[in-house]
Amino acid sequence: MKEEQKKKVHEKYKIALQKGERFWPDSIYKDLLVSLGIFILLILLATFIGVPGEPKADPSDSTFVPKPEWYFLFLFKFLAVYGQIPLLGKIEWIATAVIPGLVILFLFALPLIDRNPFRHYSRRTMGLSIMGVFVVSMIVLTTISGVPAISGNSGMSTMTLLQFMTGLVIPILAYIIIVGSSFLAKRSRPLASRLQKWTAVAASVLMAIVAVVVVAIAPKTTPAAEVQQANTLSEQIALGQDLYSINCAECHGSDGEGGIIQGVAGLDGFNMKTIHSQDEMYTRSDQTLKDIISYGQPDLGMNPFGKAYGGGLSTTEIDSLVAFMRYSWDDRAEMPAGAISSIPTLNPGEVPSWDVHIQPLVKRYCASCHQAGKQNNNYIMTSYNEMINTGDNAPLVTAGDPESLLLKLINGQEGLDPITGKVIRQMPPTKLLDPQYVDMLTRWVMAGMPQTAEQASTLEVVPMPGTAVDLTGDPTAGLTVFEAQCAKCHGENGIQGIENPGSDDGTVPSLNPIDPEIKGADLKSFITNLDIYIQNGSTPGGDSPKLTMPSFGTQGILTQQQIADVIAYVMSLNK
Amino acid sequence: MMWKKLFAWLDERLGLNDLYKATLDRPEPKGNWWNTLGSASLFLFLLQGATGIFLSVYYTPSPDHAYDSIQYIMNGVAFGWLIRGIHHWGASLMVLVVFIHMLRVFVTASYKYPRELTWLIGVGLLLCTLGMGFTGYLLPWDQKAYWATTVATSIAGSVPWVGPFILRVLRGGTDLSALTLSRFFAAHIWMLPAVLTGLIGVHLYLIIKHGESEFPGRDD
Amino acid sequence: MAGSHHISRRDFIKLTTAAVGTFIGAVVAVPAIAYLIDPALKSASTDAWVPLGKLAAFEIGKPAPASFTRSIVNGWEKTVNSYGVFVLRTSETETLVLSNKCTHLGCHVNWFADKQEYICPCHDAQFGINGQVLGGPPPRPLDRYSGDQVKVEDGILFIHFLGA
Repeated sequence: MKEEQKKKVHEKYKIALQKGERFWPDSIYKDLLVSLGIFILLILLATFIGVPGEPKADPSDSTFVPKPEWYFLFLFKFLAVYGQIPLLGKIEWIATAVIPGLVILFLFALPLIDRNPFRHYSRRTMGLSIMGVFVVSMIVLTTISGVPAISGNSGMSTMTLLQFMTGLVIPILAYIIIVGSSFLAKRSRPLASRLQKWTAVAASVLMAIVAVVVVAIAPKTTPAAEVQQANTLSEQIALGQDLYSINCAECHGSDGEGGIIQGVAGLDGFNMKTIHSQDEMYTRSDQTLKDIISYGQPDLGMNPFGKAYGGGLSTTEIDSLVAFMRYSWDDRAEMPAGAISSIPTLNPGEVPSWDVHIQPLVKRYCASCHQAGKQNNNYIMTSYNEMINTGDNAPLVTAGDPESLLLKLINGQEGLDPITGKVIRQMPPTKLLDPQYVDMLTRWVMAGMPQTAEQASTLEVVPMPGTAVDLTGDPTAGLTVFEAQCAKCHGENGIQGIENPGSDDGTVPSLNPIDPEIKGADLKSFITNLDIYIQNGSTPGGDSPKLTMPSFGTQGILTQQQIADVIAYVMSLNK
Repeated sequence: MMWKKLFAWLDERLGLNDLYKATLDRPEPKGNWWNTLGSASLFLFLLQGATGIFLSVYYTPSPDHAYDSIQYIMNGVAFGWLIRGIHHWGASLMVLVVFIHMLRVFVTASYKYPRELTWLIGVGLLLCTLGMGFTGYLLPWDQKAYWATTVATSIAGSVPWVGPFILRVLRGGTDLSALTLSRFFAAHIWMLPAVLTGLIGVHLYLIIKHGESEFPGRDD
Repeated sequence: MAGSHHISRRDFIKLTTAAVGTFIGAVVAVPAIAYLIDPALKSASTDAWVPLGKLAAFEIGKPAPASFTRSIVNGWEKTVNSYGVFVLRTSETETLVLSNKCTHLGCHVNWFADKQEYICPCHDAQFGINGQVLGGPPPRPLDRYSGDQVKVEDGILFIHFLGA
């Protein structure tokens, strides 16, 4: 630049300063307002969108499709499109090193390259047009980065061609025309700049249209199945619990207790050792447990579970499994607050539903074997419909039927296969469910097997006898319990009940003699009817009975044996 | 009175008034909202610096603990989600703002005499910002970070002759490992910020020296 | 007239700028302080009944060492800590459990049967068989578990551990 031009620049700047403002506070005021806007935007983004969760890095999982940060996507896509060029596309380093290197070099050298002394837009159409096309092609490449460049088998499909056009051909043609037309400037400057301007506009519009077409005709990709992901330790333990139930429980038992393995191909009858003992937990570090799960113990019959060795579990999932084992079985590790059992307990009078209670229960104790691909007579328990309808000897459960095969089996009885006549053993085969879970399943079947909590809330609890009906009661012991618990309302020996104002009868019913309806046709129904009362209590008919009978069984006032004794005693009164 | 005396005492020793005149009380051409993008970039840099320092209180740059420590920041520490959220989104926004700022400078041709060096350093700042984004992306040590960095470093490896060597330098070995994580960490919190700070200092000095450029008029 | 208007606009701009700056500073500072001091605010409640072994294994009137470990989660890291105690059965039904941590500076005391004293190897603090201070620098008796804090279930001795 000539000295005299420089002088002109300085003079003009001086005039601009005189007409201008002060840096403090005029400019800083504007700067700060913009910064405030950005700051508020950031807080909103952090609060309402947050940082999307991602599973932990898993070097063994080579199936992961990586994506760079959005501001590198254009480069990423440029590489992909460039790679489609026949022949030249094979020389990758031109796209990875030479072209980006040239662009950066160009940026650095821009003040030296651009010798044009003018600053106004109208006299810089070439530079502005090139930059315009470049920025638009960056945006276009970013937009189409999610669409694969190849569709179909091989060769130049329409998709490849379109991406090729918008990502490479149109911008390159535009650059050539823009630079070429600058030679026209010697003859007619206005014509050249008009040509450059319109080339840039036309190229941009064309690229945008093609990009929109590409996005529109792109095959709709179904979003990948959501990976289950645990953020907190409690969630990790809960996830580990589910994974344990599905992958481990069929051999190691639902709680690591081991036992004789049944129904597992190749390992039937093997006596699996306990893995939840102090010995095991104190002598195996987390890393050891992870290695065992990942690599398996093939000589002992345990398959590898880690993805690295051909299993189905990712490193993160194995971490969760080990967290579950450690926090559930190692008495040195304290279960973090909030890590609750994933099976909710039933409130008195609540009808269990599939969604809330049965699904997690079945997932923990049954799904390990009762999923597709296992030996299970084709009885699948992974969804509501399967649980009700599948099985070689379906139906295994019938709403309201206490004799349903499923209920028999979980109560430790053997069942007969109605089709083959084969004996079906108790379920789960190694260890029966905790009584509260047997009760939960029974209540669910009896109430009509509701699927959602909403459906369940409309149903009434069907009063059920407790396990006392199967016990042998001792009438003498029953007398003692009766004197302590029952006589104060039903009277000595159950002969004369006390007054109960507000009830239809006016008195507490007599038990000696007892209502013939309760006595029923046979002994079995007599026992059952009595037990239903003692187990669940009862509220006599009437506007506002003063006295109601408490639920001795479900509230745990009496043990099942005590109830059986009382039943025996009351029956002895009604021989 | 007390304050005036105190200020006079300090001014005599620190030269506060001269500093004020030199840096803040400057005349400027009539401002435009587009001119605020440079200081917005500076604001974002400072915000990233502050949130980054806070994150480093709990973050651990090792493959064993990096992920867990970030989970802890997100779920276990009061406002951890906010600090990380701002840092995460701030990074994206900073790239965007720096980019638009450069476009503005290009469009108004502010890179011309006498501000050529300001532009040159600006390009350096852009590269450093992208470098920060690239190194910071790996630090959470999640699937996306791990595999995207694997691919990105392989791109560097495609350069003829020196590519494999560059790849080993970037990764600190042939594979992505603990060494990669700790050198990305060092680059992200020490080297690049140091370079950025230095370049920003020169950039600002040059802006004060030459003043902010005015928007070009018809006859420019 | 125009001048006075100009000045008030100036002042407005200055005030707004200062206010916006303070606002951003405060919005960053408040969460930042909470973020920094957060671990100090969390109570590490590690209250639990810890088994020390079979009660029958401890002789009456003779302090015997026992130890147990507890693991706690610190942030993203799990630490297993060991704790030592002395179990002294004062009678058939009564048991006194003393922490072996010297109340002076936290060294581990040892039982010397010949002197019938706990002696700390660091600064020669002496404690009696029930943990009372006999001599040396300690400010208070050894920490103890007795009464409600000790129970026996199925022949196993438990103490109610409240954290370190």
